[in-house]
Amino acid sequence: MKTYKDLPADGGSNIVGQVTQQVNRLQQRLASVRHTVAIMSGKGGVGKSSVTANLASVLGLRGHNVGVIDADINGPSIAKMMGVRGQRIDYGDDGVKPAISPLGVKVMSMDLFLKDDETPVLWESQTQKDAFTWRGTMEMSALREFLSDTEWGSLDYLLIDLPPGTDRLPNLVDLLPNLGGTVVVTIPSGVSQLVVKKSLTMAKKLLNAPVIGIVENMAAYVCADCGKTEELFPSGNTEEMASQFEVSLLGKIPFDPRISIAADEGSVFVDQYRDTPAGQTFFSITDEIRMFFESQI
Amino acid sequence: MKFLCLECNTAMEFKETTTPDQGSLTAIFECPDCFAEFAMHMNPWETQMLKSLNVQLGGRSEAAQPMEMVQSFLSQKNPNNLTSEAPVGSTEDGGKCPFASAVTEAFQEQEPTGPVWTPEALERLERVPSFVRSMAKASIEEFARENGHPEITTEVMDTARGNFGM
Repeated sequence: MKTYKDLPADGGSNIVGQVTQQVNRLQQRLASVRHTVAIMSGKGGVGKSSVTANLASVLGLRGHNVGVIDADINGPSIAKMMGVRGQRIDYGDDGVKPAISPLGVKVMSMDLFLKDDETPVLWESQTQKDAFTWRGTMEMSALREFLSDTEWGSLDYLLIDLPPGTDRLPNLVDLLPNLGGTVVVTIPSGVSQLVVKKSLTMAKKLLNAPVIGIVENMAAYVCADCGKTEELFPSGNTEEMASQFEVSLLGKIPFDPRISIAADEGSVFVDQYRDTPAGQTFFSITDEIRMFFESQI
Repeated sequence: MKFLCLECNTAMEFKETTTPDQGSLTAIFECPDCFAEFAMHMNPWETQMLKSLNVQLGGRSEAAQPMEMVQSFLSQKNPNNLTSEAPVGSTEDGGKCPFASAVTEAFQEQEPTGPVWTPEALERLERVPSFVRSMAKASIEEFARENGHPEITTEVMDTARGNFGM
């Protein structure tokens, strides 16, 4: 009896061929992207999307062509933070035209596809029972389409805002074998860093790409009246974590309520408040990332 | 998956898929030597997994449209987006999807003009699972035409549904 390997094909469906075609399409699209950077954190609520939006905007202000993908399929927030929510997107000649932020950053997010504010991401299915068996695959297929079907054009940087947790990282490796590097966001709390360490371990073990560095968000609070700096989360030690994992600490962003206000308004904090301590830190972190890639040339 | 005709020791070939039934899909394979056929029934989760990967049994005659999976299976979409004609291409292998083409052909046979859908009815139609949506749309339009409804409202949909015994 012939075995699986003896049979030349799958009878006409060519499922492997169809998947290969998806991979080829992705590679062709990303061929015009110079640097792909994943922004990640094991922990939710550390301000990862806010950091992504501001880093992308600084890169735009520095004159780079930049794109951002909101890989948080179920909790998309990048579109709002970058002021593109409600923008109409449509087909172009070679895919779907992305939304464009006021600073010219190209954005693709599930938020642009959802009907309204209250609508969650639900996939059509005969039953939602036992949806755990296929929902993850749906989400990765959506991310693959965001990457490969968006008309990115030539980009200097494509930032990927990953959802919290470490589970998406292995899938990202399959989608992006040429990932340029990762930036890990944490806050200086012991609980956050406990989780973030797992992400760092996962990133170092699984990814061929280097960890560019750690960003400490909400590092301290600067009093708007007297300018005095107070710690918000005194229990963590980001320097120690960076040292333990032998990665750079790219910068410490002080807490500034205007970052949150800007995100809610869809305006760009780093453009409005570039001379504040937080604004300056976003610029210096971005320059560290640029130098990281320039040093590789 | 590959299928072998044990009688002939020959690889079986994909023949067709049948209309999904309650989320399950049936694929029929045939032996090119003895023409024996067998049906593979996939349960709803296997069918859903196939959809998740955005691959089609029987291959594709056209390359996937941009954002095809998101557009096809996202439950409630922004109606203002992706409204123009999607760019299409052809596959390198020239494969075919009998299920997709069967559905397409079925609707090409419909009259080109039909009753007008109200926005509320269209919104409700959007909630019908995508793989039966075209079929449901055509059936309701046919019902409306036969019963002299120039406009399809949610009430007409309810009447049609009752008429179909659903």
